Amino acid sequence: MSEKKKVLLVDDNPDFCEATKLILEKKGGYEVTLAYDGVEGLEKVKSDRPDIIVLDVMMPNKDGYKMCSELKADDEYRDIPIILLTAVASHISDTQYTPRMGMETEADDYLDKPAEPKEILRRVDALLKK
Amino acid sequence: MESKANILVVDDEAVIRDGCTKILTKAGWDVETAENGRDGIELIKNKNFDILLLDLMMPGMNGLEVIQVVNEIAPDIYIVVITGYATIETAVEAMKRGAYDYIPKPFTPDQLRVVVKKVLDNKALLLEAEYLREEQEKGLLAIAHEKSKIKTILNCMPNGVLVIDGEKRIALYNPIASKLLNISGDESIGEFADACIDCEDLNSMILDVLNQVQNDSTIISGEIIGYNAIPIMAHIAPVMVQDGDIVGAVAILQDISTQKAIDNMKADFIAKVTHELKSPVATINQLLMTLQEGVVGDLEKEQSQMIGRAREWGEGLLDLISDLLNISKIESGLSIQKKVPLNIKDEIENVIDLLKPQSDKKKIAIDISMNNNLPVINADKDGMREVFTNLISNAIKYTDQGGEINIKGELDRDYVKVSVSDNGIGISEKDMPFIFERFFRVKTKKTRQIMGTGLGLPIVKEIIDAHLGLIEVQSEEGTGSTFSVFLPRKVD
Repeated sequence: MSEKKKVLLVDDNPDFCEATKLILEKKGGYEVTLAYDGVEGLEKVKSDRPDIIVLDVMMPNKDGYKMCSELKADDEYRDIPIILLTAVASHISDTQYTPRMGMETEADDYLDKPAEPKEILRRVDALLKK
Repeated sequence: MESKANILVVDDEAVIRDGCTKILTKAGWDVETAENGRDGIELIKNKNFDILLLDLMMPGMNGLEVIQVVNEIAPDIYIVVITGYATIETAVEAMKRGAYDYIPKPFTPDQLRVVVKKVLDNKALLLEAEYLREEQEKGLLAIAHEKSKIKTILNCMPNGVLVIDGEKRIALYNPIASKLLNISGDESIGEFADACIDCEDLNSMILDVLNQVQNDSTIISGEIIGYNAIPIMAHIAPVMVQDGDIVGAVAILQDISTQKAIDNMKADFIAKVTHELKSPVATINQLLMTLQEGVVGDLEKEQSQMIGRAREWGEGLLDLISDLLNISKIESGLSIQKKVPLNIKDEIENVIDLLKPQSDKKKIAIDISMNNNLPVINADKDGMREVFTNLISNAIKYTDQGGEINIKGELDRDYVKVSVSDNGIGISEKDMPFIFERFFRVKTKKTRQIMGTGLGLPIVKEIIDAHLGLIEVQSEEGTGSTFSVFLPRKVD
């Protein structure tokens, strides 16, 4: 059996992290590392090289968009797939946190929060199989 | 027109004086007489006469001498000389000295009347000409005054004003317009607008206004970026003549930098607040879902069901937050500002895809028949999605398991008409007037279990209104509802 795939989950909300970690580990069989903001997230990417990153958008220190675009601009990490998590309240908006902005940051996929556990797993599985 | 006239007859012959008096009085004129030049002059000094009928051959002061004096004391009087057996020479001499006409003796009453009448007509004509000249002078003055008034108003206006003629040439602009658009050159009047104004959006809006259909034209408003990146709100109205032809356009330009800054702050604030509101609810639901997945221990069926209900309320709360945000954004004009040419069919198909999980869950079939040649509309993409998400998800919510939804798109005059019909529970006549009111919800046994915010239809209506469209509802309780949206087609 191959080694467990590594998921880096970056979100400033510890309860959200815990719930999602449980799903990814118990239902998805992944190894999950946690980070609570963008700066910590980038450190973990470098120290721990994950196979995929699940990334919240609104975070202190460095938000998800910034972290995402920095990684996508870096030859070494560009290939790591990123799923952006957004908790945007409205889709008719021109605020800075619309999903469309998520698409522009070259993220590989994005999910609205809260996300069905099955949906999270489906998206992660799909990107890792590619 | 017979005007009242004062006539003085100066003649040494009583027969002539009496004859003239009789004839002229009969014709409606006032007549006075004098038997010699001196008396005549005395009368003229004291009274204004229109006509002096003057005998040339008189004892004492002769006619020519009288003319000389009268010319000095009453230059406006018309002098007609009466010449008994006179030679033409005397008459000519009299005319040279200022007499207006002459009448040879003897004369018939008709000849006298004709001469007097001729004099009076001439006088009336001169008066009228004088009056017209004065009026014209007054008129020109008024126009000049009005012009300077308009110029002052235009120059003092806090907004830019730009007038374009039917040939797309600049007809007029004020200093603010020049500043906002940096209208190039000193002599821009008469030049083509697109050559002098470096703002593609504005030029295309002007074209849109000028090319509008007769009698069906409206004001086009939109945000443009002016000189030095100044954000400008432009309102462009067609100038129409009586038969409805569009002969030009007037643009009002408003510098909205300050409003823009406030809007951005507001938008940021709203984004932050809603994130703060939504985030805890999202986390609660994420935890409930995780619980339901059984990853922290298996759940009894009833436990899972109850968690499911808690989740639904959480979802309801999230919807309410979204809807409140949407409505506040629509109201503050933050959205529906980016109208682009849209193919409505694509947007509706996207919405149906997104709602498929909901319709599948209730085994509701969605049938879509859209005319392939539907014209493009000018609309806000997100706004349109919001409209049809609301209408279609309402149709799903208020239709029983296994129901049917039909979406039809067609051209109705200058509107693209999209109808969403269901065979669901329908709306009663009693509730119908309130369905577009905020927080109104139909309360029946059947709707008790249906989650909703009471803001969906008000949002739909606000968005449609912002697109100058309209929405119609037909419904019968127990049979189903049809919501028809009319959106104006894009004019090219």
